[in-house]
Amino acid sequence: MRNPLIKRLPRELKADAGKYLVLFIFIAGMISIISGFLVAGTSMSASYDESFEKYNIEDGNFELAWEADEGLLTELEKEAVTVYKNFYVEEETKEIDSTLRVFINREEVNKVCLMEGEMPESAAEIAIDRLYASNNGIGVGDTLTVGNTSFTVSGTVALSDYSCLYQSTSDMIFDATLFGVAVVTEEGFEALGDAHLHYSYSWKYDKAPAGDAQAKEMAEAFLEVLAQKAIVMNFIPRYVNQAIVFAGNDIGRDGVFVMILLYIVMAIIAFVFAITTNNTIAKEAAVIGTLRASGYTKGELVVHYLTMPMLVTLLSALVGNVLGYTVMEDFASGMYYNSYCLPTYVVLWNASAFVKTTVVPLIIMFFINLLILVKKLQLSPLRFIRRDLSTKKKKKAFRLNTGIKIMTRFRLRVIFQNMPNYITIIVGMFFANTIMLFGSGMEPLMDHYQEEITSNMISEYQYLLKVPAETQTENAEKFSAQGMKTIEGRLRSEDITVYGIVQDSLYIDLDVSGNKVYISNAYAEKHGIEEGDTFTIKESYGDTEYSFKVEGIYYYPAGLAVFMEDTYFKEVFDVEEESFTGYFSNEEITDIDKVYIASEITEEDLTKTSRQMKLSMGGMMFIFQAFGIVMFMLIIYLLSKIIIEKNAQSISMTKILGYSSGEINSLYIRTTTVVVIASLLLTLPVVNFLMEYIMFMAFSEYAGFLPYYVPMKVFVENILLGIGAYAVIAFFQTRRVKKVPMDMALKNVE
Amino acid sequence: MFLEINQIKKGFGEGESRVEVLKGIDVSIEKGEICVLLGPSGSGKSTLLNIIGGIDSADSGYIAINGEKTADMNEKQLSLYRRKHLGYVFQMYNLIPNLNIKENVEVGAYLSSNPLDVDELLHTLGLYEHRHKLPNQLSGGQQQRTAIGRAIVKNPDILLCDEPTGALDYKTSKEILKLIEDVNKKYGNTVVMVTHNDAIQNMADRVIKLRDGMIRKNFVNTNKISATELDW
Repeated sequence: MRNPLIKRLPRELKADAGKYLVLFIFIAGMISIISGFLVAGTSMSASYDESFEKYNIEDGNFELAWEADEGLLTELEKEAVTVYKNFYVEEETKEIDSTLRVFINREEVNKVCLMEGEMPESAAEIAIDRLYASNNGIGVGDTLTVGNTSFTVSGTVALSDYSCLYQSTSDMIFDATLFGVAVVTEEGFEALGDAHLHYSYSWKYDKAPAGDAQAKEMAEAFLEVLAQKAIVMNFIPRYVNQAIVFAGNDIGRDGVFVMILLYIVMAIIAFVFAITTNNTIAKEAAVIGTLRASGYTKGELVVHYLTMPMLVTLLSALVGNVLGYTVMEDFASGMYYNSYCLPTYVVLWNASAFVKTTVVPLIIMFFINLLILVKKLQLSPLRFIRRDLSTKKKKKAFRLNTGIKIMTRFRLRVIFQNMPNYITIIVGMFFANTIMLFGSGMEPLMDHYQEEITSNMISEYQYLLKVPAETQTENAEKFSAQGMKTIEGRLRSEDITVYGIVQDSLYIDLDVSGNKVYISNAYAEKHGIEEGDTFTIKESYGDTEYSFKVEGIYYYPAGLAVFMEDTYFKEVFDVEEESFTGYFSNEEITDIDKVYIASEITEEDLTKTSRQMKLSMGGMMFIFQAFGIVMFMLIIYLLSKIIIEKNAQSISMTKILGYSSGEINSLYIRTTTVVVIASLLLTLPVVNFLMEYIMFMAFSEYAGFLPYYVPMKVFVENILLGIGAYAVIAFFQTRRVKKVPMDMALKNVE
Repeated sequence: MFLEINQIKKGFGEGESRVEVLKGIDVSIEKGEICVLLGPSGSGKSTLLNIIGGIDSADSGYIAINGEKTADMNEKQLSLYRRKHLGYVFQMYNLIPNLNIKENVEVGAYLSSNPLDVDELLHTLGLYEHRHKLPNQLSGGQQQRTAIGRAIVKNPDILLCDEPTGALDYKTSKEILKLIEDVNKKYGNTVVMVTHNDAIQNMADRVIKLRDGMIRKNFVNTNKISATELDW
């Protein structure tokens, strides 16, 4: 015979449809989003991994000052590598404000995936990166003028060595709006001229390295040979090339973060379920006692009360997964395509995603509920019959000062009685708040970063020259600069610029006399370096290390930088006295031929991080915000509902005694209000601290420094949003209190 | 001897506040007997019933059913013992509110490998036409009938009733007592019934009167009358 208790389940579902529906929607929604991201992420990741072979992606690239002759290439190929010519021209575009890096269509290495339209066939045609095209509103058939040459866009493409549009590997972030890549025919390339021609080469090892460590060794050995034979302008092995590796790392990284979030939220939901079940057990204590007395085992009852949370979780997870594979997969892939220039992919069945989004949540739900149920149901049948469910040995009333008004004491008693509910509310609120703050704080954080950078720029324009060139521009100030690397430690090694500046500089207000060395606050804060400390940096393409003592910290949030007097700079780095690297200037320099300018750093270049992050994370941030608020409302709704249900008889009694609705609400709803508002306020500093830590960890993977900053406005908004959401729930709970009948206290006299 | 109660002692509390509720109870009950435990509030009758039912434990002494001692059993074995041998009826009916009358009886049937026919029992209980109703749609008497049905559907050796008519009016109480009597006759279960209503002793085969945790009287009722003839 099937256990007749099973028949209760559909009735319970129907009777408490609102509660279960809300939980179902919440869990299914959450799982569908995560499953969608995992499925899209894994499918894209698989396609990305395949692309290395499919598109024959380089093992690295280097740029020379001049074109390599056949002799050099033959010499280099003796190092067990194949070198491919991969020249590009980098020019500004006319129709839109951007820089386009144009290659000849590649047929051997770094092959191109056509996304839409056709590959260029004539000298007047160009195929541009899909994401760059979409961000700038360029479509197939449009005209795009690169430098002075006009092209018709024949199609959109994904370049396999630019899955992420990093203009330079030292950029903090990619920028798919102001920077793009494109391919043209050989004739089209010739038409671009050689004013901004880069002698770039890709190489492939004859035998691929086994891992990053070996890749590093092989790259270092290759660089040594290369540097002896040619003037190397740039050298980027694949393993450090953000344009190639960033997308692959990032797709996986999102997964870990999202999974942790799912499991924390599932644990909270499991606790909410357990509290709900505890309440049901308290209500049904006498029945449970009778069943136990009749011979029902503890195990049978545990299974019975465990069935509902498991059933709801299972159904939610299954529906969530179906949605994840259909609706949400499109959404998630859209988000990835919004950030990365990935080739086409096919959706793959992902067993691991199913385990992560269905099996693990079920296990979490199972164990938390099992633990609490076993503890709860361990009481003897007699205790259940007597409704004596306290697990504490001695039941002593908590003494309250009689000087406190009776209504306040009453409220305090309600809080003490419902401690587990309130603790879960506080914990739930903490996470909901963190998620909300993550959603609402990202944009102001980026804005602040942008503002900080723009208001603390060294100069309006910063020019880096290929060779020293003079200018008549007023107040243009010469400086020396050297790209170096930080030493790998707690954080990975990254680019840092060492500036040699003149004493009494117009642009950098520092006393650099007497070999004093300053570092930017970005470097200091990210790497935890303080005034008086000694830090070490090393050559980008060599092993020589340099150590300096920090004289002071200079407020320059735009990047990792070291500042010293120019003469000291030249002495340290053994640079000729007359030599210099570029100019700081508040006016545009127009009297230097562009051929001599290696790069020009303006406000736009420095703020591309925040722009791109806002662009690629904008949609996601809304989800976080909405998710946080829904979670917030759900937890308060379920737990405050339990508090009212648990006290229904007392509420009924207070009605009989003549308490007004306002007074009753003040006893049973205001208590929750106090707890909600108090936890909103009290958890905020912890949330803030946690956010700072999360942000630091998340952005430590990126080059550069993004200072944590959440304006007070966001905190206030979060609190107000929380209070607003609570007000909606409180309104429903007030109605629930109103509905408690007066005769309830008289009927249930057992 | 079917049910042997040997030197059962039970106390609550500690130190000065300790109260000895049962002070050495010895009783033997034969199979198929209706045994009424009588006594005022606090006499220890419900505690004794609970110890017989294995939902409370004695400080010393033992209960044996067909020679099987409950004191030697662990919790799992006690559950099995209750499942196999006992049916429980309380003053409050403790029915499952979202199961209908038939399903509530089936909850009891589920525990037995050889239960009584549920529909037939519902006829016996006079509940067949109400079988699809939920407990809150029935009167107190009907709910108590359902509780009795749930207890006896597994055909237990012993039916333990703790003040089964405590919450019912005179007429309904007599109907319930008649039902217990009929069940006893029809199925031959041993009935141990706790009550403070003196009149009920007249329908019993054996009467045990308790006061202050001790047996004041234990006798076989030679003038047994039917429950329908009871009056109080």
